[in-house]
Amino acid sequence: MSKLYLVYSALVAGGLFYSGLTGWSFGSYDEVKGVPKSVRDNPGAYRSHYASSARYFGGK
Amino acid sequence: MNPAARKIVPRPKALNCPQCGAAIELRAMGAAASVVCGYCASTLDATNPQLVILQRWKAKMTVQPFLPLGSRGKLAGAIWEVIGFQQRGIQVEGTDYYWREYVLFNPYKGFRYLSEYDNHWNFVTAIPSLPVAGTNARNRPTVTHDGIVYDHFQTARASTSFVIGEFPWQVKMGETVEAADYVSPPHMLSSETTKDEVTWSKGEYVPAQDIWTAFQIPGAPPPPVGVYSTQPAPPAAKSTRPWGLFFVFSLLLLGMMIFFATRALQETVLNETYTFNPAATGEKSFVTRPFVLRGAKANVHVAVHGDLDNAWAFISMALINEETGEAFDFGRQVSYYHGVDGGESWTEDSRDDAATLPSIPGGLYYLRLEPETEAPTGAAAALAQRPIRYNVQLVRDVPFYFRYFLGIFLLLLPLPFMGRKGANFEALRWHESDYGVPPNAIAWSSSSGDDDE
Repeated sequence: MSKLYLVYSALVAGGLFYSGLTGWSFGSYDEVKGVPKSVRDNPGAYRSHYASSARYFGGK
Repeated sequence: MNPAARKIVPRPKALNCPQCGAAIELRAMGAAASVVCGYCASTLDATNPQLVILQRWKAKMTVQPFLPLGSRGKLAGAIWEVIGFQQRGIQVEGTDYYWREYVLFNPYKGFRYLSEYDNHWNFVTAIPSLPVAGTNARNRPTVTHDGIVYDHFQTARASTSFVIGEFPWQVKMGETVEAADYVSPPHMLSSETTKDEVTWSKGEYVPAQDIWTAFQIPGAPPPPVGVYSTQPAPPAAKSTRPWGLFFVFSLLLLGMMIFFATRALQETVLNETYTFNPAATGEKSFVTRPFVLRGAKANVHVAVHGDLDNAWAFISMALINEETGEAFDFGRQVSYYHGVDGGESWTEDSRDDAATLPSIPGGLYYLRLEPETEAPTGAAAALAQRPIRYNVQLVRDVPFYFRYFLGIFLLLLPLPFMGRKGANFEALRWHESDYGVPPNAIAWSSSSGDDDE
């Protein structure tokens, strides 16, 4: 059981070390490849996935 | 066979049973008080040269001992010969439980015993001194012997149901004694009380494989059933090592947290304030100046602050690598509402929002922003003419502390269940006792099963 816990602890520590090295954290984004260089001069040519998503309308 | 065994154990003396005429071998050189005929089970007086019948019994060999009479083996530093065997039993709540006892003899050491129940073995020695009686913290009886406190386990009337061979007392089929067991694993103190005397003996748990090896029994012993009263807890059940590992790994995680926090760049690569006119028409999206994200892969912290008043704004953002064309799309919403309702002022939401983008490769980037808000209509349209100012800040490689505390929590998570293993072992040990629960069981567990205390 101790060996199993040792392996488990090593996996937890290893995972955290890897996440520290790579900057992994909770959080998400959509990754898009091959965005044309023309977007730099014409931002309207690129539409973000989030641009058309539903919004929250707050207030009483 | 071990030559030394031949030296110390003399050849048996051959006699005949006066009941049935079967040959009887006397192995204990007159040390035995009785001998039971292996054929008709009559008990004979071994101290009388004529083998006077003490008890006539007509029985067959209904129980087959693991260790045949006459077999020899080395245990506790001496060679022992099996000279007698009996099966005894107790009845608890209408159920019969049987165990088996072997009489061992060595001419220099005297008698010892091996008891076996459900393939759990104990090496038993009679003790000459009386243990000291007492009670434990839960008012259960205890006895103390040689400085060891033994907890009372069980008291029952034991009766002999089968005997064969020689015994140092005048054994009789069907004889009953009051047997009380006290345990301090791997040891047990047992008393046997008859109307004439009380005898005490001390047993020690012996793994079945040791018996098989000592007596050179071919094959492997049958696996033990359940947990026996004197069975030592396996190392895993009583180990404190997982807690040691927990502290070591917790320290490691804290060290890791300090290490990554000190090497984090925490470099502000963009900190710009923009203005957005909701009433304006035309393309709303724009891009920022280019900036460099240093290092290999690291996170990017994005913070948005909106100068809002009863309004909301959603900023669609794309972090675009100018060299590779790779984009990371995300969005942040800020909103702030306030007012007075029923004489009480209220506020809702926050002008600030933030996110951490994980594992963004290094390179030359720019940010594409596309703000949007509710389309102004009617009276709100006039208010909406006021531009919304908002600030966007990007910080490369910020330390992230939460994950290490989450890691410590994950390390902690299995430990209570591992502790239960030891508790379960003790619960199984004491399940067969007169009490049902261990003497050191905590109150909540005793309330369910310790009714007779």
